[in-house]
Parts: sequence; C-alpha cells; structure tokens
Amino acid sequence: MTQKRLRIALTKGRLQDHTVELFERMGLDCTPIRHPGRRLVHSIPNYPLDAVLAKAPDVITYVEHGVCDLGVVGKDTILEQGRSFYEVLDLGFGRCRFALAVREGSDFYGTYKTRRIATKYPNVTRNFFEEKGMDVSIIKIEGSVELAPILDLADGIVDIVETGATLRENGLVPIEDVAAVSARLIVNTASMKLYKEDILRLIEGCKANLEG
Amino acid sequence: MSNTIPTPEGTRDRLFGECQERRCVQEALLQLFRCRGFHEVRTPEVEFYDLFLRSGNPLPQEQLLKIVDRGGRIMVMRPDCTTPIARVVAAKLKNLPSPQRLYYDQTVFRSGKEHRGGRSEIAQCGVELLGAQGLRADAEVLALAADSLRGAGLERFHIELGHVGLFHDLARALQLSQEDTETIRCLIEGKNFAALADFLAPYVDTEPGKALDRLPYLFGGVEVLDEAERLFSGSPSIAYLRQLYAVLETAGYGADLRFDLGLVHQIDYYTGVVFRGYAVGAADAVLSGGRYDGLLAAFGPDMPATGFAVDVDAVAGCLPAAELPQAELLIHYDPACLSRALAALDLATPGTAQLSPCDTLEKSRELAWAKGARTLLIFDGNGERREAL
Repeated sequence: MTQKRLRIALTKGRLQDHTVELFERMGLDCTPIRHPGRRLVHSIPNYPLDAVLAKAPDVITYVEHGVCDLGVVGKDTILEQGRSFYEVLDLGFGRCRFALAVREGSDFYGTYKTRRIATKYPNVTRNFFEEKGMDVSIIKIEGSVELAPILDLADGIVDIVETGATLRENGLVPIEDVAAVSARLIVNTASMKLYKEDILRLIEGCKANLEG
Repeated sequence: MSNTIPTPEGTRDRLFGECQERRCVQEALLQLFRCRGFHEVRTPEVEFYDLFLRSGNPLPQEQLLKIVDRGGRIMVMRPDCTTPIARVVAAKLKNLPSPQRLYYDQTVFRSGKEHRGGRSEIAQCGVELLGAQGLRADAEVLALAADSLRGAGLERFHIELGHVGLFHDLARALQLSQEDTETIRCLIEGKNFAALADFLAPYVDTEPGKALDRLPYLFGGVEVLDEAERLFSGSPSIAYLRQLYAVLETAGYGADLRFDLGLVHQIDYYTGVVFRGYAVGAADAVLSGGRYDGLLAAFGPDMPATGFAVDVDAVAGCLPAAELPQAELLIHYDPACLSRALAALDLATPGTAQLSPCDTLEKSRELAWAKGARTLLIFDGNGERREAL
C-alpha cells in the first residue's frame, strides 16, 4: 500500500513558527510553509505531509471533521472547545500561564457578592469556578480582556498570561493558575485507526526532536 | 423581508438523492438483520427523562433535547435506542423465551454545540441480542457488524475490538483510587501518550503499570494481542479476545477485524467486549457497540445483552453519490384516456416518466422541454402517438 499523505493543521502565528522549527529538526523541508505565497495548502517536498494554517479554534474544527488528520493547537483552545479527538503529545512550546487575575490590592474572594469575570474563555472559566463551587457571572470579551476591570465591567479576568507585563501595566495581578498551557499535537480518531503506522511515525519523529 | 424559515441547528432537509442514499443503506442493513433472525421494534420518539437517568449512563443534560409535558414532567427526544429497548424488554418481553433478537431503524436526537457542523438528528439502524452471553453470542453480533458494513456497500472498513475487563484488571492490580483510575482512563481514551506516561511514572516498574502505559498504543492487527500478553500475562480478557478472534477468523472475518485495547469509553456501561467500525471517508466511527450486561437489571430482569448501532448517514457519506433517474417521457393525455396514460406510466422505468397536467399539446411540449424529457407520448381522440423532442 502506498503511504498515505497526511494533512496537518497548524495554528497560525507563534505556534506555527515553533512547529516549523520542530519539523526542520526532524529533517522536513518547510520552505513552502516559510514562503507560502498565495497557496493555502503547503506540501512538504520530502515527507508525505501537507500543512494548512488556521486560527486555533479552526484547527480543532478541521481535525474533528477529519478534513485534517492532525493539528497543532494550544491547550487553552482545547480546554475551551472540548474535544473529540486524540491529544497525543505535549509539544512543550507555546508554554504560558492560564490565570485568574484581579485588580491589585482587591480581595477577590472576600465578599459574598457574585463576582464578574471577563474572559475570552467562558467554558474554561465556568468549569474553573464550578470546581470551586462558586457562582460567578461571566462576560465574554473578544479583544483586550484587561480593559474590562479598568472600566469596572468585571472584578477579574481569566486569560493567557505570557510575561505578565500587560497585566502589571494595567494594575492587575495573577492570583491563581487555571491550567498549564502549551502546544499539543492532536489526531483525528478515525485517521489514527486508518493510518496508524504513518501517524505513529510522525508522532515519534516529533517526540524525538522536542526541545528540553 | 425573507419569507423562508430555516431549519433548526443540526437538522436539515434531505432531498431526492440524499434520501435514496440513506434508504439504500437502511434497506441493506434491515434485510440482513431480518435474515439473521432479528425482529423489529419501534419505541416512541419521546421518553421520560427519568428513563435515561435510570440507565446509569445518561448523556450530559445539555445534549438532550427536552420537552415538558402537560403534567410538567420532563421528556426528552430519544437520545439513544438501547435504553428504551431495555425498558420494553423489562416491561413486555421478560417472560418470552431467551434469547431475544431485536432490531431498530430509528432516529436519535442529540443537541450538539452551536456552529460546529454537528448533527442533532442521527439515523441509526442497530440490533440488540438479549439474554445470551458467551463466545457464540459475541461472535454472532460481531459477524453481523462486519456483514452490515459490507452489505451496506463499504469496501474499506474494519471493526475494532476491545475489552473493558483488561483496563479494570490493570487498575485493580495497581490498587488505584477511583479518581486516579478515572484520570488514567481519560488519558488512555484520548490517546494522550505523553501525559499518561507522566502520570504513570510512579508505577512504571510494575507489570500492570507498564501495561497501562502501553495500552493506548495497543491498536492494530492481531499482533497487539501478542504484545498485550507479553505485557500482562494472565488477563482473562485478552484470552477471551483471542478465542473470539480465532472463531471469527475461521469464519472468514479475520481481515475485517482489528483491535484497540485502549477502547475504554463508557466503562461503567459496557461490561465486556466493545467494538467500533471505521471506514475510509468517515471522520469518526460509523458503527459502535459492545456488551452491556448491567443495563437490563436497572429496569428489572437481569439479562446479559450485546448489540450495536450503525450511523446510517455516516456510512452513506462514504459511498458514491446516488444516481437519480432522469426524466425521459412526458405523457400528454385527454382526460377520457386516463387509464391508458396510467398504464403507460406504470410500464416506464420508475422515475423516468410523468403525466402532463396541461390541457393543450403546446403547453405539454413546453413542459417536456423544461423537464428535460426527450419524448412526448400522446393519448387523445386520434389514438396513441409519440413525438421526439
């Protein structure tokens, strides 16, 4: 049987750069991804793999529907979107904190009032506070979440914290970690069964070339 | 303002070829089920919510489509076919001689997430073999599962077998807490290879610890049973799978079968062999089933049971698109000649001919042109004649 040409969806931006570096350590020629031109599907010339670039939630959608066999996506998106795919490998890069941050000096828990939380991740936020048995009112914000506490729309935020600089500048402090986030390699369930050898070979290749 | 009203999320209209594709799969499956001695049951589209709670394996509440009846009781659109059948058996069939072979051709309703392209209405055809256990019963149902997918027209498919007993044995051997067992189960189900290895690090020197760590990799051909036996000797579940495979291989099903010993979903519901069917062209399993000896007892009679359901549209989606008959003949007739027109219509290949409702020959010619029919058949006072267009 000829080898199956696998298709992988990569999250655009920082994770894409790290994934390309990983692929290059594995000996894959990533020129088409580095110089995409107007193409949307990038064929790796020396490995049976095609890559597409997508926004993080779309990576999950493509993998769940099986139009991509694999995907690289942040754990934050996986936690938010739920999953019906295999999450096979922690790729180690794209590491950041997923944290609850509140206004500096405020006592977030020391009140009976229902707290308001601004976030891009309403599902993660709901699950986090449900675990604590705490009622909160969640406000979904699409852009800069830090703005909500400043404008007094929210008492705190649940968001990705990379350096903490943006939080500090806006008078917010992270007080609790919600989850550890890093990039994950995910696989469509049917693809895993139908193209086991090809997919395991790619997973093993990634695993052997992870940094650190 | 638009006058059209859309269909609810997750539902859709099916037209012509789409109906035919679904019907072809259904007919192939039902014919086979009848051949194998199964009898049809039909349960209501709505049931009380309590029924599914009682099954001990309810779907998350947000996935159920709910209705409140006039008395204020919560009803749900049937989210699975097996639980209502367990209710029927307990209420109406428990005194009939075992085993009972039942089949169904019904829709299940599940409310998916918004805008994810999921389906709320899932057409299922499936069987339940109730009151029989052991090798023969499991082999019969598995052979039927493979024959179902083949009979529906799939060429590149396989049925994948697992056994929940293996996971239970390994977890018990490590004396894991309930919480750790569930964490490990989720990691194995998600084939979360790396995270599982980290979690199992304290146990990796023990035989069951090593075996659990390898469990998500143990899928593929019959060779995975060899590896499983090397990793964890003395598991009755593996011995049973081997025995079952031998029976089915002798019967000619060897090439249809594979294994996934990491199949550990719904572990409180299934009690023995579990299986799923995968086909090239489908993004998820197209068939799903297993042995669930505990379910019937929740409704009364303690009966062993096994069965499976086929996702009809998922199977149809793997098959070539249906070819619809093309309009070829339009019949223009004088009302006095209706019986002859009908006779001619019934003789034509179904779907290729139709009657013209027009009162003049000219209008019938225009209609034939619009419908793409190449022949006009005319019955009037001058008798019968054909016109090529």
